[in-house]
Parts: sequence; C-alpha cells; structure tokens
Amino acid sequence: MPREIITLQVGQCGNQIGMEFWKQLCLEHGISKEGILEDFATQGGDRKDVFFYQADDEHYIPRALLLDLEPRVINSIQNSEYKNLYNHENIFVADHGGGAGNNWASGYYQGEQVEEDIMDMIDREADGSDSLEGFVLCHSIAGGTGSGMGSYLLEALNDRYSKKLVQTYSVFPNQMETSDVVVQPYNSLLTLKRLTMNADCVVVLDNTALNRIAVDRLHLPNPTFAQTNSLVSTVMSASTTTLRYPGYMNNDLVGLVASLIPTPRCHFLMTGYTPLTVERQANAIRKTTVLDVMRRLLQAKNIMVSSYARTKEASQAKYISILNIIQGEVDPTQVHKSLQRIRERKLANFIEWGPASIQVALSRKSPYVQTAHRVSGLMLASHTSIRHLFSKCINQYEKLRKKQAFLDNYRKFPMFADNDLTEFDESREIVQSLVDEYKACESADYIKWGMEDRSKTLAGDGTLDISVAGS
Amino acid sequence: MKREERRPPDNSHATMPLGEGVLYPATPRWNLERPFLNGHVLHQEIFNQHLVGNKGVPSDTFSMTDLNRAIGIYAPSVQELLLIDDLLYAMVGIEGKYISFQKGKSKENTWNFQIDPSMDLSLQESAKRLLPLCECYSIVSQFTESRSHFEYGLVNHALAAAFRAILQDYHALVAQLEHQFRLGRLALQGLWFYCQPMMGAMQALTNVVLKASEGSLSGAAILNLLENQAAAIAGDSAARSLLQKLSQFASAPYLGILERWVYEGVIDDPYGEFFIDENKALQKESLSQDLNATYWQQRYSLKHELPGFLSNAAETILTTGKYLNAMRECGHNAKISFSDDMKGLGSGTRHYLERINVAYNFASAELLDLITQKFDLMGRLRSVKHYFLVDQGDLLVHFMDIAKDELAKRPSTISVEKLQSLLDLALRTSIAASDPYNEDLLCNVEKVSLLKQLENLQKMGFGGFAKTQKSEDANSLELSSGQTTSGIITGLETFTLDYKVQWPLTLVISRKALMKYQLIFRLLFHCKHVERQLCGTWQVHQATRGLRFIGTSMPRSYVLCQRMLHFTQTFVHYLTFEVIEPNWHVMHGKLQAVKSIDEVIYQHDYFLDKCLKECVLLWPQIFKKVEKLKAICLQYATATQWLIPSMSAPDLNSSDSAGVKSSNSGTSNRFTRNRYNDDQARTAFNSSDEATFRTTISKIGEEFDKELNKLLLLLTTESQTDPYLAHLAHGLYGVGKDI
Repeated sequence: MPREIITLQVGQCGNQIGMEFWKQLCLEHGISKEGILEDFATQGGDRKDVFFYQADDEHYIPRALLLDLEPRVINSIQNSEYKNLYNHENIFVADHGGGAGNNWASGYYQGEQVEEDIMDMIDREADGSDSLEGFVLCHSIAGGTGSGMGSYLLEALNDRYSKKLVQTYSVFPNQMETSDVVVQPYNSLLTLKRLTMNADCVVVLDNTALNRIAVDRLHLPNPTFAQTNSLVSTVMSASTTTLRYPGYMNNDLVGLVASLIPTPRCHFLMTGYTPLTVERQANAIRKTTVLDVMRRLLQAKNIMVSSYARTKEASQAKYISILNIIQGEVDPTQVHKSLQRIRERKLANFIEWGPASIQVALSRKSPYVQTAHRVSGLMLASHTSIRHLFSKCINQYEKLRKKQAFLDNYRKFPMFADNDLTEFDESREIVQSLVDEYKACESADYIKWGMEDRSKTLAGDGTLDISVAGS
Repeated sequence: MKREERRPPDNSHATMPLGEGVLYPATPRWNLERPFLNGHVLHQEIFNQHLVGNKGVPSDTFSMTDLNRAIGIYAPSVQELLLIDDLLYAMVGIEGKYISFQKGKSKENTWNFQIDPSMDLSLQESAKRLLPLCECYSIVSQFTESRSHFEYGLVNHALAAAFRAILQDYHALVAQLEHQFRLGRLALQGLWFYCQPMMGAMQALTNVVLKASEGSLSGAAILNLLENQAAAIAGDSAARSLLQKLSQFASAPYLGILERWVYEGVIDDPYGEFFIDENKALQKESLSQDLNATYWQQRYSLKHELPGFLSNAAETILTTGKYLNAMRECGHNAKISFSDDMKGLGSGTRHYLERINVAYNFASAELLDLITQKFDLMGRLRSVKHYFLVDQGDLLVHFMDIAKDELAKRPSTISVEKLQSLLDLALRTSIAASDPYNEDLLCNVEKVSLLKQLENLQKMGFGGFAKTQKSEDANSLELSSGQTTSGIITGLETFTLDYKVQWPLTLVISRKALMKYQLIFRLLFHCKHVERQLCGTWQVHQATRGLRFIGTSMPRSYVLCQRMLHFTQTFVHYLTFEVIEPNWHVMHGKLQAVKSIDEVIYQHDYFLDKCLKECVLLWPQIFKKVEKLKAICLQYATATQWLIPSMSAPDLNSSDSAGVKSSNSGTSNRFTRNRYNDDQARTAFNSSDEATFRTTISKIGEEFDKELNKLLLLLTTESQTDPYLAHLAHGLYGVGKDI
C-alpha cells in the first residue's frame, strides 16, 4: 500500500467538507456507508488504499482523523449513516466541548495542550501505512478551531514529519456577507502565516467564489453549506483522481504538485471545475469535449477563487502553472489539438520566466458514479492574482488592528500574553512578503527578484530585523 | 539379370525429383525382378537379344523370324490371318512371328515395330496403321507398371491406376477381337475398324506418358501436365474428356492431402508431393526466445510447383492449414462440421474453391476466437501495456521506492533475484494486484544502456533500425562512447522488464515484439527516474521556504528545477498521451474488427513500430539529445540535493534539536518555533556556499538551455517530414526560453 495519504479534518468546517469528501470517495470506489465494498464494485482499476485501509473484517476505513474542539459536527457525523465508516479511535473531541470561541489563539493554545493525544493518533495512522506520502488538512482559516488548531498541527507536522508533504484544503471566508466572526481577519492572517511557512501546497477554497458559482452557475438563489460543500468535495475528489485511478503520470502527490509549485512559498493553488452540477439538480446537459472543458476552465467565472484585482492589476496577472485533470472518456488525440488551440488563441497568460504550458493529466472516471457529462475537468492553477486575496486579508486586519479591536480575547492566551503582539506583526510581514513574491512573479525577471535591492532589503526593511532582534 | 537389378535404382534416381528428405518404402524386389509382370520384358528382351546375338546389325532382329518361314511365301489371305494373329499379340505387347520390336534410335525408352518385309505390301500398309496403337500400348503399360512403384508418389500411383483401368478395357477389347478372330469373323479391315476408337485415346495417353517420363514428373506437375494436355487438345472432345477424367483420378489423392490440410492442418504427404512444405527445424518455442524467429512465416511455405487449378487459392490454403495447425498445437481440436454432401473436395473447381473458402473462414475465425477468448489476447496485451507502457504508474512509483538502493548499483553487482522479489512485492501492493497475469512479469537487468542497445540493433540492421546514414552512424558511435565513459551506468539505466508469454500468444507477443516493448519501457522508466530525482530536489526546495532566499540564487534554482521538471513531464506526457495512448486506441479499435490472426499480428507490429518511431527511439540524434538533457537533469538533481542541505544544514540541526528539546515545555515551544524560521533567515547562506551554488546552477542551467535549444531545432527541422515530432516540439517550446 504505497504512497498513502492521511487526512486531518479540523474544526467545524474542516469536518463538514471532510465528510463530504469521504462521501464522494465512497461513492466513487463503490464503498457502502458502512465501509463494505458494494457487490457491484468489481471492476477494479482503482486504488482504494491511498485513502482507505481495510480492517480485519475487510471493511474499508478512511485514513482520516476527525478533530474538533466542540462536539456538534462530529456528533452529527457519528449520528449519520456514515457513523460506522470512521475509525472511532481517530475521532477527537475536546473534553470540555467548549470549542475555540472563534479565537485563533484559543484554538492554537488548545492544540498545544492536546498535542500528545493527537500526535499519538497521527503516529498510529502513519505507522499503519507502508510509505506515507503526506497529509491533507481540511479546515477553514476564519474560525477558531480550524485556523488555530490547524495552524498548530501544521507546525507540529512540519516538525515531526519534515519529509512528508503537507497539503491543505483551506476554506477562505465569504467576504460578501457580514460574518458572525468579527475577528476573522485576525484568524485568517495568523493562519496564513502557517499556510505559507508550514504547508507544501494549499488549495484555496474561497467561500465567496463558491457562493458566487452556486448562485450564478448553478442557479441556486440561497446556496446552503451542504451545496457549497458538495462543490468542495467534487474538487477534492477530482484533484486526487490521478492518485486513486493510476494512469501514465501523476501517480504520486509529489509529482502532481511539484510541477505546479515552482517556488516554495507560492504554493497557493486555485481550482476550477467544469461542468458543475449539484446533487439532485437537473442541469441542461451540454456537449463536453476536451477543448470545451479546457476553455471553460480558463474562464474566470468557473474559478473557485474570487479575484479582487483591479482591472489594471488583473491584466498583469499571470498563470504560474496550470494542471488540467481531465476525467472521462477522452479521445487522447483531442488533447493535443485542444492545447494547440488554446495556445494559438493565447487564452492563458503565463509568467515569462518559467515553463509556460498547460499540463494535462488524463484520468479515469469512477465506473460507479453516473454522470451526465462525458468529460469533466478540474484545473489546479497557480495564479499571481491570488495575491489580492491575501492583500485583502492584510487590509482587513489592519483596519481592525488600528482600532485595537478585540485584541483582549487574544491576550488571554500565552502567545499574546503581556500584550506581546509580535506574532501579529510577524504574520503580517510574512503574508506581505508572500504578496510581494507573487507580484514579483508577474515580472519577467523574477529570478533577479531582490538581487539588486538585497542590500536595501536587509538594511531598509527594518521590521523583520527588529522582530528577530526582539525575540 | 545384373542389369535388371541395377536398373530400378537408376530409374528411381532419374525419376525422383522430390527425392530429398522424403522417405518412401522400397519397391519389393520381386516386383522388379519379374519383367513379364511389369512390362520391362517389352524392351528387356530386345536388349537381351542384343546382348546374346550379334550386335550392331538391325536386321539381326529378324534372325529369329528367319527360323520360321518368311510370311511372303503364303497367299495374301493366309498372310492376313497370320498378320491379324501377330497384330493381336503385338497389341498386348508380345512379339509375333512377323512383327518384331526394334529399339528406337533417338531415345532409350522408345521402340518401333518392324514388319516382315516379305509381307504383302497392302497388308503391310494396313498393319502399319495399327502399329502405333501397339507402340502406344507398350509405352502406356510400361509407364503404368513403373509408376506404380512407391517412389513415384500418390499422384503417379493414382494415374497409373487410372491407366490400368483403361488398359483393362483395352485388354478386353483385344480379347474380344481375338475371340472374333477365332470365330473367323475378323478381317484386317475389321480389326482396324474396331481399334479406331481406342487409337485416339491411346495416342493421347502416350503423349501424356512421354511428357511425364521425359520430365520425370510427379505430384503437382503431373496434374498440371494433364490439365495442359486436356486444354491443348480441346478440339478432340473425346480425348479431352478422357484426360479430364484422368486428371480427376490423378488428383484424387492430392485432394485427399489437401483435404486433411485444410480440414485438420495435417500434412499427410509421404512422398512430398503436396505444394506446402513443412520446415520441421523451426520450433514454435523459438518465438519466445529468438529475436528473429520466423516460425510463423516459414514453418510452412509454398513450393514452386503449384497445381494450376489451385494456384489462386494457394495462399488461402496455406494459411488455412497453418491456422488449424496452430490450433492443434494449442491442444484445441477444431472440427469443421460440414453436411455430408459437402464433405470431400469432390468435383468441379468452383465447388472446391468454395469449400476451401469455407474452411479458411472457419479456421481463421476459430483460431482468432481461440486466441482472443481462451487465451485472452486482449487481456494479455492490456497486461503487457500496464507494465511495459506504464499505463498504471503506481507500480513503478512503489517499485522505485523500495528498489532504489538495489537499482543504484552497477549492473554487474545487482541481484536480479532481489529485484524480482521487490517487483513481486510492488506487484502485490499496487493496482497490478488485480491483474490476473501479474505473475508472468519478470525483471531483467541489461548489460548496456538503452542508447547502446539501440545502436547495436541499428548495427545489426534490425527491423526499422537501419534507417540512419553512415555519417550519422559514425557520429553516433563517437558520441555514445564519449557518453558511456562519462556516465556510470547503474541499474536505473539498465533495468527492464520481461514477460512470460506462452504459445500461442507468442505468435503476437513474440520475442521481437517484447523487445520493442522493452525499449519503450526503458525509456519511460528512466524518464520516471529523472522525474523522481527532480521531485526530490523540489522537496529540498520546499524545505527552504523558511529561509530568506530573496536575493540569493535560490530562485534561479527553483526556476531551473521547474523547467527541468516541466521538460521531463512534457516528454513523458508526449510519450504516453500523444504516442502510446492514441496509437493503442487505434490498434484497439482495429483489433475489434480483425478477421484473422495474421491481421492481429500485423496490427500489433504496426502499433509497436509506430510507437518506437514516435517515441524518438528510431531517431538517434534526437534521442541522444533527450538522453543528454536527462543526464543534465540528473546532474542538477544530485548537485542541488547535495548542496542545498549542506548550505543550511548546521542551522537546521541546531534549531531542530532545540525544537525537540523544548517541545514538551509548553509555552516556550512556540517561540522556539518562531525563531526557528528567523534564525535560518538570518544565517541563510554564507557567501562562499552561495557562490559555489550560484556557479553550479548557472553552469547547469546554461548547458540545459543549450541542449534544449538544439533539441528544439532538431525537432523543428525533422517535423517537416514527420509531423508527430512537431507535437513534442510544441510541448517543449513552453519549457525553453529565448526561442
């Protein structure tokens, strides 16, 4: 069972999308809600062991850890029809059940307190696999548990499993509606630092964009969480198809993400999926060809990250890399033609300093899931416009920070005790440098980025030096 | 007697065109030693007389008749009676008193009849008209006897039998004539009249016989002769129908052989007359061992002499039997079920051609069915594709994980057994576990690199490999020798798979086909290896994200790594999704519609050749550039994986240990962790390391660019003739820069 992947679902949102993800995987692999292989699932050709392992009674158990500080979501999972799917030893709910109160610091602190328990669970799972490839973390960056405890786990994983890949599916908060979490900008910023420094690959799931897609593309006036989450699970399952249905290429996670992420920090990926359908929704069925799918994937309206770029900036935004995972009955000869067409039309604007072409992975579709469309596609792309998302986080953070609003909640925890807010400054610094790096990627001489003004950076850019000196 | 004893071997020698290798029973001695039984007497006696009596004087033959009174002394009416009596004898090949034999002057086997010159001239003339019949008889009967011997083969036997039947009639005629004569009802004119019908027939037979013995014909030649003769005397309908009848008789055993061949795939041909030759030296096992095995092509072959009436169908007949034979070799008993009236290849050309076609369709459908259904050809091909064309790559990922140490050794020190057990392990744990044929997969370590192997094949002029011109050859040799000395070959360059193929699948997946699969596999395998190494570097890069890499040459390394990775992945993408998969698709489609196994073999070979060509394996120059680029990638991967950790290693260790130490001490933990990044940032690279790194990276980068540009140039020029290379070029354009 080589190249296994362990999934960590942290917090309310993380567990919800994780739940959807496992539902989807079970469907695609023909595994019943109890983890038993369905009778019809005899066609093979799939590898269940990347994400599942078999118990002594042959039933499939997800390599998943369900972690939360409050019991609500996990209880609902344990009361659902999927209750027997998970390994109960892998479920962790804080004893007090009080949650993290949407406070990153609380989540982080509690994560620290329970580290041993959780690491035990992780070690057990890791030992149970032959050659662990890495971890997948599902969480949201806005709340308390997913962001705070998730951040702690990212650091801990980096320490303990420094050779393993860490990929996250991070849900970014919906900017369109006023959130009930007022400290969301704080939480996001603090989490973003960990995502930048401690993860190898972050798949950005932007709730704003997901909602927009649900409203505009799927014509759902008031999309529910379940509906947006099903979009997420579609993306998550599609992005792992090449691992689960082995093909010529991209059979390990490293190979899949390595070509997408040229520079180690710019590892935030956006996704696009087409054609989208939501459960029980009768959509008009379109004709899908490889070219159609590829073309649609490049359209902004199908991208699951909203762009806050101003027009001028948007025109400078470039793709760093694109990987299209095409699923379904694809005539392989179409792929080349489609790529050729896209190249001719210059539909994708690439960075100038690196390899500039769309990579394509063809993958099988699950034989057990009937879809109306012959071909579907997922785009994983690194695009410089994602920096605007981070800029927005910084802006929102600064608004709050100027007012010194809500900081008391954070000061209660050791990290911010004695009014020590360097963590905020440092996080801001790192996120800002990330934004800068993405900006640098837009210019042709990224390689020389910082070369000429290295002295300037070191001398003039005092913030970081001070923070180093101060700590 | 001495001469008689020696004669048959002489004779057989002269008349055995098929002699070699064909075993036949010897004709019993008694049959040869009784000249009165076998007709030799007809001319043997002459020789004996010659030997005994005075030689050289032709008139000496009359010395015997001289003992009697010359016929001239009788009255013509008496002469006529005597003559009729003599003629009746002569007609059955016995010398009379007044009619004697004389050996022909021109050839050994011909002879003439001499009539006593003292005979009444008018009688003489009448008698002379009858004499050819006598000659014919003696020729035919002699032929009949001699051709009954084993060595002449079944067709001759059948022909002789037919002759004998005709001679039977002839004898009956003579007997009746004699009876009439005894009753005194037969005059010379009557004799002439009654013999009339027989004359033409015997004349026709004689023509055949003379031609047949002249060329010592047998087998198909006899049949052809009969056909031709029948056609030549198309005007004489009686003689023609006689010859056709003869040809029917003579071809009966031949058709019998044919029948067994097209119905059972057996050559039942003791005298080697059949037009299909079996080369027993070619064993079917050679298919799975010998690179140049020609079992299927040459085990059975057509001879030069074909019976004319079958010549159009000859190829069909050959393949029909071949198919049936192949099925028998598989232990599968296929029987054509014909309704009874259809059985037997009977009469009429159209009829048996139809039958042959039916048999052919049956055989080819049956064999195809056998191979595709019982031996699951498509499943096998799919299985071979999984392994050799890596269409389920997880096996390789796992195998390379567990076998990387063994593969990094020199080929001579690698334990194939160990690799095999690791391969088996990988097979069991990857998706290949669901392949029913995974046990047939073997691994192997070649002695030379892929490039070298291709060159060797080229030198041997193997298959499509003999494409290059001489100048290129010399060039390539030079280059390769340079490369082999520069690069150490490890198991990664020489590892290859092998596959156990059983008869009859060896027909399709022969040694040669497997070798082509292996060539493609080795290319893919090495590409995957390069990709892995680059991914390793990528992971090293990932570890540097905590460092202040801005302003260092790290970004340069990131970009180079990315471009190399992109190059490798684009190349593999091209090999798999643009060459193998579409071609497989096409072949798969065609294999659904094939009618015979030969078509399957053709399609499969075509697929492999096309893949080899499009995978640039047949383009030495391009392939060498690709190899060079891969070598640069590996060089880069090794260098970075060595240099980067060493540049930041001291720091990593110290902060790491600090982190571990403090990990239990609660609150201070996070600070350590925070500082962890900053410490590294501060002391990211010292300048000397940085300088070494910078020069290494830029040197490798430059070389990579240079080679890539050369490759692109090559691809662009060559793509004018071979458009598929443009596909590769298009993909790679994105990788290069400044083009």
